[in-house]
Amino acid sequence: MEKLLEVKNLSVSFKTFFGEVEAVRNINFHVGKSETVAIVGESGCGKSVTANSIMQLLPMPPAFFKSGEIIFNGENLLKKTNKEMQSIRGNEISMVFQDPMTSLNPTMKIGKQIVEGLVKHRKLSSSEAKEKAIEMLNLVAVPQPEKRVNQYPHEFSGGMRQRVMIALAMVSNPRLLIADEPTTALDVTVQAQILELMKEIQKKLDMSIILITHDLGVVAEMSDRVIVMYAGQILEEGTSDEIFTDPKHPYTKKLLSSVPRLDMSRNEPLFSIEGTPPDLYIPPKGCSFYDRCDNAMKICKDNMPDFDRHNNTHRSRCWLNHSMAQSTEGSEV
Amino acid sequence: MEPLISARNIKKHFDVGEGILKAVDGLSFDIYPGETFGLVGESGCGKSTAGRTIIRLYDPTDGELFFNGKNVYDLSRREMQEVRKDFQMIFQDPYASLNPRMTVEELVSEPLDIHHAYKNHKDRKDKVIELLELVGLNEEHAMRFPHEFSGGQRQRIGIARALALNPKFIVADEPISALDVSIQAQVVNLLKDLQDQFGLTYMFIAHDLSMVRYISDRVGVMYLGHMMELAPSEELYENPLHPYTKALLSAIPIPDPEIQRSRKRIMLEGDVPSPINPKPGCRFVDRCAQATDICRKETPVFEEKRPNHFAACHNVK
Repeated sequence: MEKLLEVKNLSVSFKTFFGEVEAVRNINFHVGKSETVAIVGESGCGKSVTANSIMQLLPMPPAFFKSGEIIFNGENLLKKTNKEMQSIRGNEISMVFQDPMTSLNPTMKIGKQIVEGLVKHRKLSSSEAKEKAIEMLNLVAVPQPEKRVNQYPHEFSGGMRQRVMIALAMVSNPRLLIADEPTTALDVTVQAQILELMKEIQKKLDMSIILITHDLGVVAEMSDRVIVMYAGQILEEGTSDEIFTDPKHPYTKKLLSSVPRLDMSRNEPLFSIEGTPPDLYIPPKGCSFYDRCDNAMKICKDNMPDFDRHNNTHRSRCWLNHSMAQSTEGSEV
Repeated sequence: MEPLISARNIKKHFDVGEGILKAVDGLSFDIYPGETFGLVGESGCGKSTAGRTIIRLYDPTDGELFFNGKNVYDLSRREMQEVRKDFQMIFQDPYASLNPRMTVEELVSEPLDIHHAYKNHKDRKDKVIELLELVGLNEEHAMRFPHEFSGGQRQRIGIARALALNPKFIVADEPISALDVSIQAQVVNLLKDLQDQFGLTYMFIAHDLSMVRYISDRVGVMYLGHMMELAPSEELYENPLHPYTKALLSAIPIPDPEIQRSRKRIMLEGDVPSPINPKPGCRFVDRCAQATDICRKETPVFEEKRPNHFAACHNVK
């Protein structure tokens, strides 16, 4: 598959009063054309920093890129000037944020907000702009779009606002959509509507999606491939089927067994991961999951393993993959 | 078995200027000793208001609540203080529900202070340490402030506070929603252990249906202030009767791509309507695919449709 986006050796840190926080540590991944890639992990694992790095929305300082390249469409985004980035942002790459309540301007009519970017980039007349806004609201299935364009955000419910956010992101037919927890603030029935809508629009416009979420159910529903992040690093990557049916890293396994599933018996125990993720002021020298891993060995403490490829699409970094490690088959993970 | 809590036609209305907001509009159910009663529904359905009205944090508009045979809503202020020891609450947001200026020791001993539940200074300190150890913290945490703790640890402090007076009944209002998945499991397991140890009875309010199914013995489904369905957990999830419950269950994504691909989903159109001046008839009628004329005219009665399985729907016989 053709690569639309490629992130190479990306490291992002934040300078703070107490020292440097290494939020993202040397990650590599790619997103293919019209593919959906999910990035999962707990809060503070670096998934949102990764997304914001692609869009270059991080406040600099305190944030800075330590190393790496972000290749989009053959060009390195980190080499772009501010002005060049502006024409990419919202045009070729768009973003949908978590909280539709706070990411819309409360003093601006919905229709105007949707086409604000377009008017700026393409100099539309006001009647053209309005037409376009109505067309976009239609696309995201907001009822009565002619009336709705003239309303303000407070007149919309949470689900409707998230539809507006999606309309806003879609207005310039982006090639890549970054959705950062797009349904976390919504109820399940509304979440189902929004996910369905995103899939439909993806098919229509043939775009790629990076989906950032901690909800493994949403991941299973939406994504072709899954990237598992922990403490600023990627621990495992694979197709959706590989990650859910044949997880290789102990963290992925534990993550999957710590959520109750509708189709599991109530008597099955729910595994919890004891402890908390490490502090990224002083990231651990060895494997970042060492403290919380049941299968931790001596070598894990001071040495971070490299990736092992299980096949073309599936890779993970864990010393258990090593031929000298003891088998963990049958042990409870 | 005698129920520990019997709610009869509980109502809580708010006057909001443009009309009457009927947050809770006639709930009746029993909670038995030692069980976990789950209450689910989407935002705005009144589940949190129901929880707060039940422990009388809100004064009810109407209804009766029997606890140990006494109607709690008839009690005077002083009598209520006594009953309060048996009723406790765990709140949703561990960041907002702990006073940032108080140390953990002060936070956990606050209920003990109010009810004079210790003999002397040393007894108080011992009790605090015992409580902290019960929830997986320890003595050295006692002198710290809430901001020094992670979300999961803060929720543990909230639980220690709730346990301080040896309550019988705890309302947990979305106790894990603000936590990461791996931490959620820790807190849920802790709540289950404490229940076994002290024979606690829980009312567990949440919007995460898979977690509610896992933790609860019986589950009630609320929609716009009404109870739509109530059944033992397995029964509710395997044989839902109400169209709303069916739609709600089918909307939950299952973390397994293979199952997820082959599932048929019941899509609900639109959003939850406003609870201000609701129309007569079934509350779900505008979004229900099976709605008939009678659904628009008459509010269906919440009744036992199968043994131990209650529902409010005209179309379920």
